[in-house]
Amino acid sequence: MTDLTPLCALGAPEPRRTARGALSLTENPDLALASLALRAGGAQPAPFGLTLPGPGAFNASGEVLALWTGPGQWMLAAERSPDADFAAELRAQAPGCSITEQTGGWCCVEIASATGAAPLDRLLEKLVNLPPAALCPGRAARTGLHHLSVFVIRRSTDRLAVLGMSSAAGSLWHALDAAALRLESFA
Amino acid sequence: MLIPHPLLGLRDAQEFTYLGDASLLNRPDTGTDADPEAFFAYTHLRDNPAGVHRELWFHEQGDRSWLVVTRNTLTHEILGAELASDVKRGLA
Repeated sequence: MTDLTPLCALGAPEPRRTARGALSLTENPDLALASLALRAGGAQPAPFGLTLPGPGAFNASGEVLALWTGPGQWMLAAERSPDADFAAELRAQAPGCSITEQTGGWCCVEIASATGAAPLDRLLEKLVNLPPAALCPGRAARTGLHHLSVFVIRRSTDRLAVLGMSSAAGSLWHALDAAALRLESFA
Repeated sequence: MLIPHPLLGLRDAQEFTYLGDASLLNRPDTGTDADPEAFFAYTHLRDNPAGVHRELWFHEQGDRSWLVVTRNTLTHEILGAELASDVKRGLA
């Protein structure tokens, strides 16, 4: 059988990572994604024991995270090998809902700050046109970033995740890395 | 220009795409006894008011919801926004 080497969204066998001053950027390939949508009149489930969050928020419990994406719609992300069938796992947890596999469509970049919230807040000021309160810890948003549609998840004061289209992973990385570099250069 | 999204608060108009007159929500019956004149008017005829106008906007770089935005076409002042699904159900 042909021996194939799986590649990360940014095109290399290993996830890309870089450090810019207090900020470090890391591609996260070990994130399995599936979307959940309620059917008309359907009740809201609680997959993996998670309360599905309201607008602009996310809920995380253990290795699973649920992110509000629209009325009656959520994205669920789990720390899994990308070849795990997370959609099937979620389907068993949320019977009667529409579940769609999303893992291959997205590239996740994790941004961590070594010096608390300030560098991440300044990075977000440069990148997204939202009030700071929309992306304080515990909040998440879908918004535009360099003409790309992205999900921005503020995991904690010093951790941020940005999900963008995997087909535009290079452009997303360039936008994030250039903004981080400029913060470092003009600090 | 900021649009007051009913679920997400103020959002940049650049996150949205524009469709047109909110009367597009009221599509005439297209069944066998449909009135062709009504469908012609629905398809082709639009009012073009100078002043307050209700129109459909799509939150494309956001939660992908359709909104009915009330806008003054003379000043670009946004007077309100509701979820189009609520308008259609008669809730707003």
